[in-house]
Amino acid sequence: MKIVVAYKWAPNPQDADVRPDGTVDLSRAKAAVSEYDPVAFELARRLADATAGEVIGLSVGAASIDTPLARKAALSRGLDRLVLVADDALADADGTRLAAVLAAAVRAIGDVDVVLAGDSSIDVAAGQVPLTLAGELGWLGLASVSRVEAADGGLVVERDLPGGTTVLAVAGPVVLAATADAVVPKVAGMKDILAAAKKPTEVLALDGLDVPAPGATLTTLSTAKPGGGDRQATVIDGADPAAAAAQLVGALRQAGAL
Amino acid sequence: MSAEEPDFDVIVVGAGPAGAVTAYLLARQGHSVVLIERGEAPGAKNLSGGVLYGRVLDEVFPGFADTAPVERRITRHVTTFLTADSSVSIDYAGKPLAEPVNAVTVLRAKFDPWLAERAEEAGVFLMPGVRVDELLTEPGPDGVRQVVGVKAGDDELRARVVVAADGVNSYLARSIGLRPKPPEHHLAVGVKAVVHLPRQVIEDRFAVSGDEGAAHAIVGDCTLGIGGGGFLYTNAESLSLGVVLRLDDLIKKGRTAIEVFEHYTSHPVLAPYLRDGEILEYGSHLVAEGGLEMVGEVVSGGFVVVGEAAGLTINSGLTVRGMDLAIGSAVAAAKGVGEALAAGDTTATGLAAYRRHLDESFVMADLRTYGRAPAFLERDRMYGAYGELAAGIFHDVFSLDGTPRKHLAAVARGALKRSRVSVRDLISDGWAGVRAL
Ligand SMILES: Cc1cc2nc3c(=O)[nH]c(=O)nc-3n(C[C@H](O)[C@H](O)[C@H](O)COP(=O)(O)OP(=O)(O)OC[C@H]3O[C@@H](n4cnc5c(N)ncnc54)[C@H](O)[C@@H]3O)c2cc1C
Repeated sequence: MKIVVAYKWAPNPQDADVRPDGTVDLSRAKAAVSEYDPVAFELARRLADATAGEVIGLSVGAASIDTPLARKAALSRGLDRLVLVADDALADADGTRLAAVLAAAVRAIGDVDVVLAGDSSIDVAAGQVPLTLAGELGWLGLASVSRVEAADGGLVVERDLPGGTTVLAVAGPVVLAATADAVVPKVAGMKDILAAAKKPTEVLALDGLDVPAPGATLTTLSTAKPGGGDRQATVIDGADPAAAAAQLVGALRQAGAL
Repeated sequence: MSAEEPDFDVIVVGAGPAGAVTAYLLARQGHSVVLIERGEAPGAKNLSGGVLYGRVLDEVFPGFADTAPVERRITRHVTTFLTADSSVSIDYAGKPLAEPVNAVTVLRAKFDPWLAERAEEAGVFLMPGVRVDELLTEPGPDGVRQVVGVKAGDDELRARVVVAADGVNSYLARSIGLRPKPPEHHLAVGVKAVVHLPRQVIEDRFAVSGDEGAAHAIVGDCTLGIGGGGFLYTNAESLSLGVVLRLDDLIKKGRTAIEVFEHYTSHPVLAPYLRDGEILEYGSHLVAEGGLEMVGEVVSGGFVVVGEAAGLTINSGLTVRGMDLAIGSAVAAAKGVGEALAAGDTTATGLAAYRRHLDESFVMADLRTYGRAPAFLERDRMYGAYGELAAGIFHDVFSLDGTPRKHLAAVARGALKRSRVSVRDLISDGWAGVRAL
């Protein structure tokens, strides 16, 4: 089975600044593999191992997604090889355009059976890229995937939806977006990182891809922090850990959480 | 060495200035080197006041100040003694300080990645996001246990030499019993913040222009009388400020570092510099303070210790130096390890070459010069009474209250009599200070 993992090289939320007005500033954050994507890497590796298949990492974005550090970060997570479209023309690309470029790259790779991705990226978090990619490819697209296994030339996919879980048999090419907790991804070890440096990376030129010109333009007019909800904002003094734990349990009981 | 072939000639643990420069220089000699860093990227975990005394780095990377992410070149050093409501400053501004580059400010989140990139360019295998858990040891050719590699998670990597550049309190050096856990009076805790201000505001407030910068050292009331001092440095578009506090004294006086830091930043003498600034980052870190006394063992079979892991810091009371000494030790280690690898002897005997180069370098020379500084700085009067004395003298000089003017010497005698400092203290501290600093 030929599996592509689409991932994003995105700001690391650990470096985020929360502005005094509550909005989040990621401009100074260093980049890393986007928070939820390692789940997709792990699902892909397990699927490939079960089917004697191949896992190809794929990322598209600004030129800065292609550095030695970025290559190793992706390749050390169970990939066999890497394909990148790194061009500053994509620096501020919206999700629809990124999906179009991803689709063109998937076509260029050829004979792909499955594309796996994380549920949403850590910085934009709109969660629309995987399904737009499916649309661009003319493939089936499924979000909220919590499990995927190979079965008789096709796949068995479990979806974790608000109404409960559904198990589906899928035949034919498909794009799957995994839930953030579908599996616990393996942390890259020293041997994985050493091996990563020996794995091939192919850089596709944006100009060489068959990407339709964007039909609409997008400008952000304003941003605001999410509504605070009805949080109680109870602060417990941690000076005496035992007392603090008791207080916390009490507070959770009172709120009906326990 | 064991039957197993090593994966690398050298494993360097820690991509701070000491580790990155050691790795760079060894790769330049043609050795295979891996540089392991627990942070997701070099510099991610590092905190520092940010004045780098740059001469030694200029020898490694000639003209680095023009290409490295340097914030400002320090042309103005201000030393301030504080009391609760007054301050006395000595302001030394001089263009000669800028040429050749003496001191520059750096932000570690940018500077450490730059160093690591230079190492990568020289062929070093950079491995971020990995925390080394322990050292691998085996009996060496001389029968003595020798370090042969490192372990992280389930993985092991082997090398002829492991360099511990893992910073203050080196866990690796302690794990094989090479270095003891430093006593509390050899450690200080630093609390630091980076505060954003527009470039022009910084230049106006600190009376600098272009890429010039100022470094302020502050002692006295700013630390609530706790042994240590405050610093305030200018970056291009931010200030680095904080306090470095002797751990034993902090514990003895029952204060927390945050309490002192808040007192410091709200002090009427500091506040005007910080007004309207926006805090960008904030953190706390230990600093080695033992000076010469803390250096101790730095070599064992297959293993050397560099930088702050080897206790190489100088706190003269007015400046904290660690980065330049870390780089100096890296230069010595790269020479010594290079010689040991060339001779095929990486036992403690072969690696002793590092210790010899270190002893001959400016690092140990400066540590010997400032050898008495830690004990001197442990004298309590340094942090309270002297500020009051200095303020008393200047108060009497500048306040024209109608009483007849006295000569400065008489004024000083009068201020001394009123202060908590005895003449004997003054002579004793003065003599100790001259010898220590
Ligand atoms: C508040 C404060 C102000 C200071 N001000 C100054 C100043 O103005 N000028 C100056 O020259 N010095 C200053 N210093 C001292 C200076 O920061 C240090 O001396 C210097 O950083 C030492 O460099 P190093 O490379 O030895 O260690 P570090 O810079 O501490 O680097 C050690 C590295 O090792 C990594 N590491 C540790 N353990 C492991 C492990 N097990 N596995 C993998 N990686 C590991 C760490 O993540 C880190 O990146 C200051 C220190 C503090 C705390």
